[in-house]
Amino acid sequence: MKIEVLFPEAANLFGDCWNYRYLKECMPEAELIETSFGDTPAFADGDVSLIYMGAMPESAQERAIKKLMPYRERIVELVENGTVFLMTANAGEVFCKYIENEDGTRVEALGLFNLYAKRDMMHRHNSTVLGKLDNHFMDMDIVGFKAEFSQLHGLDTDVEALAQLSYGTGRNSETKVEGVKINNFFSTSIVGPFLLMNPLFVKYLMELIGVENPKLKHEEIIMAAYEKRLKDIKKMAGK
Amino acid sequence: MKKNLRFIIALWISKAAMLLQKLLGMNASYFPGKIAIKLCPDFLGRIDKPETVITVTGTNGKTTCCNMLLDVLGENGFDVLNNKAGSNVDAGIASSLISDASLFGRVKKKIAVFEVDERSSLKIYAYVHPDYAVCTNLFRDSIGRNAHTEFISSIIEKALPDDTFMILNADDPISSQLKPDNKRKYFSLARLDSDGTECRNIINDVRCCPKCGGKIEYEFVRYHHIGKMHCTECDFKSPEPDFCAVPDWDKGTFTVQTADGVEEYPLMSASKFNTYNQITVVALLRTFGLSAEAIAASFAHMSIVKSRYTKLEKNGIEVITNMTKGQNPVACSIVFDYIREEEGTKEVVVMLDDKTYRETTEIVTWVFDADFEFLNDESISRVVACGVRVHDYHLRLLLAGIPEEKLRCVENEQDAPSQLILDGTDKVFILHDLTTPDETKRVRDGVLAEIEKRGASK
Ligand SMILES: [Zn+2]
Repeated sequence: MKIEVLFPEAANLFGDCWNYRYLKECMPEAELIETSFGDTPAFADGDVSLIYMGAMPESAQERAIKKLMPYRERIVELVENGTVFLMTANAGEVFCKYIENEDGTRVEALGLFNLYAKRDMMHRHNSTVLGKLDNHFMDMDIVGFKAEFSQLHGLDTDVEALAQLSYGTGRNSETKVEGVKINNFFSTSIVGPFLLMNPLFVKYLMELIGVENPKLKHEEIIMAAYEKRLKDIKKMAGK
Repeated sequence: MKKNLRFIIALWISKAAMLLQKLLGMNASYFPGKIAIKLCPDFLGRIDKPETVITVTGTNGKTTCCNMLLDVLGENGFDVLNNKAGSNVDAGIASSLISDASLFGRVKKKIAVFEVDERSSLKIYAYVHPDYAVCTNLFRDSIGRNAHTEFISSIIEKALPDDTFMILNADDPISSQLKPDNKRKYFSLARLDSDGTECRNIINDVRCCPKCGGKIEYEFVRYHHIGKMHCTECDFKSPEPDFCAVPDWDKGTFTVQTADGVEEYPLMSASKFNTYNQITVVALLRTFGLSAEAIAASFAHMSIVKSRYTKLEKNGIEVITNMTKGQNPVACSIVFDYIREEEGTKEVVVMLDDKTYRETTEIVTWVFDADFEFLNDESISRVVACGVRVHDYHLRLLLAGIPEEKLRCVENEQDAPSQLILDGTDKVFILHDLTTPDETKRVRDGVLAEIEKRGASK
């Protein structure tokens, strides 16, 4: 079982390295491949179980796009064949149509789904979020935080969501629709780190990549932290 | 910028507010400055500034550096305007200028030292033109406010004028690159025995070349991205320092080799962090024109104000409280590292909840960026985590590899003292947030009472 982490030298903001460190803690037998900007991605000519990328500065997003563009067809193939992708914070924007700067200039992105990102470096959107995974695939409460300069906007509304929020900001400030799901490609701008905030989603990912009866590391404690946060955010949201 | 009627009205109203504060026995604050800017948005541009303005910015150490600068300059006959009493955002600087201004906005003092919040750079440097700008370092800070170092450095870069003389940290590959065309002097701390060649911290924001993205080779890493490095693929490298402190911890001094010869200064504490503060002050003041003797004489009788630190003793056990800047993972890691390096058997109470968030839920991202791994040390026999977010800390401490049997987790801080071992312990550290001074005092008193009750001793 291989977990490939893309560009950890730059995509490691906001404690996001713990998303893959925790996966490794839960699956010690898994091989963790850390792919730097200078390396050829492992997924290019081999199979991997899960591809992860986390929060990064805006310049790194542009480097990631440049680096991944030659593998666009391969990425589409992997998404179609059900390989698991997890993109947190602004990593998912690398796979949208384009990223628009404040001055209207655009950075063409991988175009895996029909949304675009809009940057506004002078306004940071911070929020606490509460929601449920989009119910057509699983009933699960999702919690976490957002701290972002860029938000996703729709070119059309057909892009399947990862979650529906009841509190906090979704793809952008005007919607409660959160994230993107295409087969097993999951993208969310929630940070926290996302997986440590949502241990049930870790279990779900483990099942997807073929772990039978997945057990979480420090399960009792991480579940207690999750339940407590869920309770607090529900109270805060007035639910 | 000229003084107009709007400015004069804003000045008088804010001066009246300042007077009222004084009459009511309130401490000086940024409040009058806030009123002034509200009434006249370009107030900072219209009010007179002293002939010489020195600004100090950076993630860590700016307050200490400012205090030291004020002390040394004060002892050398300068009457220095400063924003120590207010705050380091635009309103705080406005308050300070208002306090010194005549009724028509004329300035009396000749020199100012202002601490500047990095995030407020655009609002401040647009109107306050520093002759000298010091940047101590740039690290990851609060995620909601500061985002990441690339963002913060781009703001400072954009905001600072092109003719400001820069005083920069040669060991910081991020802040040393600020304003590359400005005149500058670099300070540095020479290689230490404790430096390594691999980064031991979770956060290292210069893992690839800031210029070309290529592979970086560190000659030495001190902590996080601080150290001496070069790119293996382009000409990017740490700049050569003009003022490099070479400490002699045993002798209690550090020397600096300059064109004029070797200068010797007394160390205020045997800490690398404080030596950075001292060499920053030396670099600025020597560039400004003060003599090495004058600076050294001031250092000789200055002590570090430990407002964030208290120490009491009971039956030989030291009970220490240490304020740790929550939301700032680097500041926390520095404290954890310091505790690990302290001598003796230690126990640590972690009560870092930010009380402001008690009714909501605090963004805990920084907890995962901070090096709790440093508390996983043979010399630390117990870690007690407490507070509303206790489960998050519990998880973090376990992920740091600390054995479950060394951990105790209680939601109520006041239950923490009973969870300590105490007998045979040399030092108990209580790490607390800025927002909980009363709770901290009660926990500290609780620890002292517990030592007494159990008859524990070191
Ligand atoms: Zn380079």
